[in-house]
Amino acid sequence: MISTGVNGLDEMLGRGIPQGSRVLYSLEPGANGQLFMISTLSCALARGHSCMVIFPNTTVDAYRNDAARMYGAHLDLTSGPVTFLDAIDRERIGKSAGSAEARAREWKARIQKLCHDHKVTVIFVYFDLLYEEFGLETAMEILESAQEGAGGMKVTIILEHLNLEGAPLLERFIRDLSFDFVLAIRSSFRPFPNFNYFTLVHTSWGPVPVRSLPFIIAEGRVIPYIPRIVVTGPANSGKSTFVMNAADEGHSIDRQESDGGSTTVALDFGWLRWKDFDITLYGTPGHTRFDPLMPPYLRHAMGAIVVIDATKPEMLPRARHIISMIEKRRIAYAIAANKNDMPGVMSAGEIREGLGIGEDIPVFPISATKKADVHSVLESLVASITQFSN
Amino acid sequence: MADGEISRTRQPYSGPVFTARIDRRDYKYRDEMINRLMYTYKSGIAQIDQISGGFDAGTNILILAPPMSLGDQLAYALTRPLTGEYAIILSTNERAAEVVDAFKLAGADKRFTGVIDAITKSSTPTIVDTPRLMFVSSPTDLTGIGIKFSNMIETIFEGDFSDGEAGLFPPPIRFCVNSISTLLMYRRLEVLYQFLHVLTAKLKKIEGVGVYLLNSESFDEKTLSLIKQLMTCVIEIKVEQNVNFLRIRGITGVSGDWIKFQVTKGQVVILP
Repeated sequence: MISTGVNGLDEMLGRGIPQGSRVLYSLEPGANGQLFMISTLSCALARGHSCMVIFPNTTVDAYRNDAARMYGAHLDLTSGPVTFLDAIDRERIGKSAGSAEARAREWKARIQKLCHDHKVTVIFVYFDLLYEEFGLETAMEILESAQEGAGGMKVTIILEHLNLEGAPLLERFIRDLSFDFVLAIRSSFRPFPNFNYFTLVHTSWGPVPVRSLPFIIAEGRVIPYIPRIVVTGPANSGKSTFVMNAADEGHSIDRQESDGGSTTVALDFGWLRWKDFDITLYGTPGHTRFDPLMPPYLRHAMGAIVVIDATKPEMLPRARHIISMIEKRRIAYAIAANKNDMPGVMSAGEIREGLGIGEDIPVFPISATKKADVHSVLESLVASITQFSN
Repeated sequence: MADGEISRTRQPYSGPVFTARIDRRDYKYRDEMINRLMYTYKSGIAQIDQISGGFDAGTNILILAPPMSLGDQLAYALTRPLTGEYAIILSTNERAAEVVDAFKLAGADKRFTGVIDAITKSSTPTIVDTPRLMFVSSPTDLTGIGIKFSNMIETIFEGDFSDGEAGLFPPPIRFCVNSISTLLMYRRLEVLYQFLHVLTAKLKKIEGVGVYLLNSESFDEKTLSLIKQLMTCVIEIKVEQNVNFLRIRGITGVSGDWIKFQVTKGQVVILP
């Protein structure tokens, strides 16, 4: 397996990219996705793979500088088993060979020689100019010729391509060229300028559904980003405790009650970096008078956690009503059955029956005061979010 | 709303609506900012500004100019940011320092002017990006150009562009490609068409204005016609006996007659 260097993405793929795969990182214009290729290259080098990098639009020095700047100090392209074909090679090929056929032959010869001499196992290609010069099939033929240079060993080919043609081009890679993994990296001006997200369009080795996830670039890494998980449930079920124990940073807007306790009147807010995901939690108030706030809370949510008090069966109808609002939005959710360390708790079966939910919705008996319990719910929900096909 | 605080939105605006906090003492153009809902970019050409007030937000303008004409100066004059505005220049044939100097001479505030330089990096690979000066490896690198463009727009929206100085919000952005001719030397027409299609559409989304310079004598009719399809209006330039003429096409109510002009210190001067 070759890691993408993005832990969240590796998990979605089942630990990474199988050796010998054909991979496409398809970049929409403006999408800040060049780090996917660089981080995969870095991981391949760290694992001792002999790599070749083909970048026909820039020079080795400029590429090294760009890569180092993007990826930080982790990437050292001078020490790894890596070889390059750059803009200068492209210029030389253009000068030495007149026709397109002759240029294609020259590319093949150079790639085969480098693969043979350096025992290359992974090729990274910035594909735009080869695609423009030779067309899709011929450009891929040139790259596939690496197999001959590698003495029959299955070479992994990873492309980064500026996709100006959209979905039809992705279809050609998948259908006509049998690519194993296609990741589309896109950007949008909503909900804020330069909002980047990636979509797993296709994998040949597993039933990974098409799924999009936002990401941010921070500390030289791609960090998948879950902008909103809503933590909801009936009043006094332990939502605020859940958010505060889940989050690296959290705030609760409460009001003192007459009995000396407190109740959430606006929201709980928590942020955490967890398993390489950047996650923001929004805890809702539980009283029915706040129900009009639920649709806006749920509008851009990617998942929800319904916290219930497992000692109070009389609150299940209220929880059922909240679940119906979540199901209308068709987002992944899990049940956190809180206060499991107290006497008189309901069983998971009783909770399922009371809530009218099937076996596909996970129910976690937890104590919201225990971080480990809270994180097990989050782990399950993040897995559902990244694999949930809506 | 507290004293000295200004809230302003432009309509129609498809993206998020923001509120700007501006100290009244530092901002002299408050009333103008409040009054204008749909932003209009002054062109500095009386024939346009008097009839339509300037270029509507989202306008993409092609300047078709022969070599040795005032085409590049006109492009810069139309891109020069007025107070509260921002400018981004994609430079495919001049170094960033030269572009900044040209804008400075034209009276532009350099804190509101950014350059995406596709020239310098080939000779200075270690050059480092700043919020207002970004570098791509060559004019062939459309991936890099797209990313730097998005990054610069993001920097402007986040308020990190102008050393703490506040412009209007949402930010009016003038964008210039200086020139498409250079890009066409490196990339196929169809590819460039698709790329510019995305770029012009993004300019419309952020309600900016785009100015694209193209050499009118180096390309065939098919090329010119395809590029024109992406534009809202075209300004043609011709030179006769060392005098520059311009003709405006595509703005309702503006005459399509040839007009004598020159550019002085970044200002378009219409000659009798």
